[in-house]
Amino acid sequence: MDIEKRKYVIYVFCTVIFFVFVIRLAYLQLFTSEELSRESDKNSVKTITLTPPRGLMYDRNGKVLVDNKPSYTVTITPSQFDKNNLNEIAGVLELKPEELSENLKNIKGTNRFNPAKIKRDVEFKVVSYIAENKDRLSGVDYQIEAIRYYPNNFRGSHSFGYASEISQKNLEKQIGNYYTQGDVVGSSGLEATYENDLRGVKGYKFITVDVKGREIGGLNEGKNDIPPVNGSDLILGMDKELQEYAEKLMENKRGAVIAVDPKNGEILCFVSKPDYDLSLFAGKTDPKVFYNLLNDEEKPLFNRVTQTKYPPGSTWKMMMSLAALDAGVITTTSTIACPGSFTYGNRTFEDHGAYGAINVVRALEVSANVFYYKLGLQIGIDNYHKYGKLLGFGTKTGIDIPNETSGLLPSREYLDKRYGVNKWPQGLLVSLGIGQGELGVSPVQMAAYTAAIAMNGLYCQPHFVSKIRRNDNTEESKSFEQRRIDMPLKYFEAVKKGMFLVVNGTGTAKGIVNKDFILSGKTGTAQNSSGKNHSWFVGFAPFDDPQIAICVLGENEGWGASFAAPLAGKLMVRYLGGEQYELDNEIKMVNGQPD
Amino acid sequence: MKKNFFEGIDLTVLFITTGILTAGLLAIFSATYTSGTDYFSRQLTFALFGILLMLVVSYIPPRIIAKGSYAFYGLSLILLVLVLLFGKKISGSKSWFSFGGFGIQPSEFAKIATVLAIANFLSTSDEGFKNINKPVNFIKTCLFVFVPVILIMRQPDMGTSLVFLSMILPIMFWAGLSPYALFIIISPAIIAVGAFLGMNYFITALVIVAVVLLLFKKNIFITAGILVINFVIGFSVDTLYKKLQPYQQARIKAVFDPSTDPLGSGYNVIQSKVAIGSGGLFGKGFLQGTQTQLKFIPEQWTDFIYCMIGEEFGFAGSVIILLLYMLIIFQLVNNAYLSKNRFLSIACIGFSSIILFHLVINVGMTIGVMPVIGIPLPLMSYGISSLLSFLVMTGIGMSAYRYRNQY
Repeated sequence: MDIEKRKYVIYVFCTVIFFVFVIRLAYLQLFTSEELSRESDKNSVKTITLTPPRGLMYDRNGKVLVDNKPSYTVTITPSQFDKNNLNEIAGVLELKPEELSENLKNIKGTNRFNPAKIKRDVEFKVVSYIAENKDRLSGVDYQIEAIRYYPNNFRGSHSFGYASEISQKNLEKQIGNYYTQGDVVGSSGLEATYENDLRGVKGYKFITVDVKGREIGGLNEGKNDIPPVNGSDLILGMDKELQEYAEKLMENKRGAVIAVDPKNGEILCFVSKPDYDLSLFAGKTDPKVFYNLLNDEEKPLFNRVTQTKYPPGSTWKMMMSLAALDAGVITTTSTIACPGSFTYGNRTFEDHGAYGAINVVRALEVSANVFYYKLGLQIGIDNYHKYGKLLGFGTKTGIDIPNETSGLLPSREYLDKRYGVNKWPQGLLVSLGIGQGELGVSPVQMAAYTAAIAMNGLYCQPHFVSKIRRNDNTEESKSFEQRRIDMPLKYFEAVKKGMFLVVNGTGTAKGIVNKDFILSGKTGTAQNSSGKNHSWFVGFAPFDDPQIAICVLGENEGWGASFAAPLAGKLMVRYLGGEQYELDNEIKMVNGQPD
Repeated sequence: MKKNFFEGIDLTVLFITTGILTAGLLAIFSATYTSGTDYFSRQLTFALFGILLMLVVSYIPPRIIAKGSYAFYGLSLILLVLVLLFGKKISGSKSWFSFGGFGIQPSEFAKIATVLAIANFLSTSDEGFKNINKPVNFIKTCLFVFVPVILIMRQPDMGTSLVFLSMILPIMFWAGLSPYALFIIISPAIIAVGAFLGMNYFITALVIVAVVLLLFKKNIFITAGILVINFVIGFSVDTLYKKLQPYQQARIKAVFDPSTDPLGSGYNVIQSKVAIGSGGLFGKGFLQGTQTQLKFIPEQWTDFIYCMIGEEFGFAGSVIILLLYMLIIFQLVNNAYLSKNRFLSIACIGFSSIILFHLVINVGMTIGVMPVIGIPLPLMSYGISSLLSFLVMTGIGMSAYRYRNQY
């Protein structure tokens, strides 16, 4: 047998196989196709997505801050849905028929054989109507889902944030394909930052259904089902009682309060007022509600703790003192003459008193403006920027909620750009020296800065979450940045002594002195060209072993001493001494003095 | 005869390979796009790389491949031993090395090495090339296959072992084995299948074998002896069947009647038949297959990829795919025929028989005419080792065309 014949033997062999297969395919696909298609329909499998409840949030003592409650979500499986029922279903769900049909057309992230979420948080009567008419309303069903529930009588709106239904735009933009229509996604605050921890992992249940969509049973006895993994819980550094009290004190005010544990940066309370009710976002969110919040003149959605950019006023004087000490412009004992005013060029800058020749500690105690006018000029713009940066200004603190501002810390580059190279007046530094002018800080930056001073230079990134508790009950500690501000201890001691005297000496906040807990701090007033001045106070306590550092900002509340200082004093005493002690030793709101 | 660099490329193989790869990628995309896995993008990356590799291989002169063939064979055997010691166990078989996210299956590359080693063995000798009809050469050829087969059966990977065995007869046939000898080897298989199906089939098979043997008009005693051996084999099929593992028995039984075990080994066969059958003449359309999209068939992007073609592209699509495979096999056989280089000629036959065997078993399994044996559909199933190995095979097939006039 020659090679050519052998080739043809192989050709014939292959051709025979080919025709056997073609005949078999023709048998399956052409002659028994209808039968097998019916078989295929019979065998439809519906994938039910099991959305796990979001993780909860707890305070530092294990008390629940953010909880869940069950709610009903209506779903529609497009492949089984009978269009003739469209008007009826739309009526039951209180939607316009066009709205519903548009909704069905745009289902994203899942295929038409699986149920898609159409409306969340429906009332029980809707669910019972669907259940009663199940046979007629094929493809319409409901699921029980967990929605957010806030068990306390305070809000924490800007801290916790809300989780809401994912928008069409974000569904299309998402990386990967985890989210499908009707899913809830953390949209602000901690809900957004810790979305991947809180959401858990979806599970899937496979159910065999017949042509009419009636469920026959679990596929393969549920062996292929993938159980969901519940969301992880967040354990916050927040103190529930302190938060509640702080919100009460800030009621009907505009401003911010933030207190941190100076040893590690954990946030003890966090208030931005006015705020809004998070439960408005828990279930179905009326677009009107959101629109109203967005356009409210009081800006309730604006986070005054992290997004505000106001001049710090006299609370900036610790920063100026440390900068001047470390740059060698002054020493802890050197003195500067402080008459009642300071003239630079042809402009005179006023002070609220004449103090003679004083050192840095005294300058802080009495909040001597002339002292700091002069320091502003002496340290110069480069040191001003360098030390500002070192103490955490002009940069984000890295707090674990989104949309923080960096604030504004002027530098040579900034001023050159704004006024032209070297064309800006040196006189700018005079106002900048007392924390006024083109300088913007946020309360969270101020709190972190105060805590760092209290801790002699240990700067901790402020943060809410201390631990994450996983589904299997293991706890994972979150680590945040800590850095040391490299300066001699005696500089911090001098500055702290000044802060001590502000409260316990003859300073601007002597009204909040307490006999059991040594409070220290500094008042400030941010000049406001468009209304009443803003009231600042930063402080820490107890003096020898700081456990709380605080920053209070009251918008248009006037002097630091008249609003912010007593409010901060109340909160510090409440935190350290408890409720009864604080009531017994009440700090009165007073008409404060200029700082 | 200096030629243009691009002349001599076997365009038939190049285009058909690209066509099959594209169909495979579409099928993998359809089977996985809702699952959140990256099988599609991985396969796409390696398909592009593989086509380049195939083209590069097609430029390598035959003497270089032949020279390296024994070393390559030796290396593959070492890897097959190592995988038994250090491999990763996936679904019961220790056939993978895992590097980072990727698995490498040495048995895929051993296929190429074994074909090349046999081709080299049969094409070199002091007096031209070796006569396969000499018992010593016959046995040596068998040994080249048996060594890797034994190692692969230890993994254990039944399907791949069968692939190795499937290449023996076509290669020997091409190398000049006499039809009589060939028939003697095949006849026990015919008898065995007959015996398994029942007494009537057994007797019919025996009669056919006897008639064909007589037609060869060889020594009557030898013919009679062979018949007796076949007779004995026929009777021992039942005993051997009982010695198989129960799951292997179930799989064989399920070929003949899948309904005996609808949720076990028959499950996939029924589901894949339903999937293919429900496709009709032109299919349900790309991404529209209910069986495919509902993940009725587990891991459809690997061994059951052909179902998806059947369901979404119907009879038309299924036949076109079969036709593409037939064309590539015919072209490789024709390259073997045209090639004056015996080494490449035999290698081409080895590769085409491997592709044919994969096709018959895999497609046969999905349309319910072959037992469920897990081997991939060449160039279509997801799997990087298998993909690259088939592209190297077609690359060598292309080189047979390029160097067809070199001895």
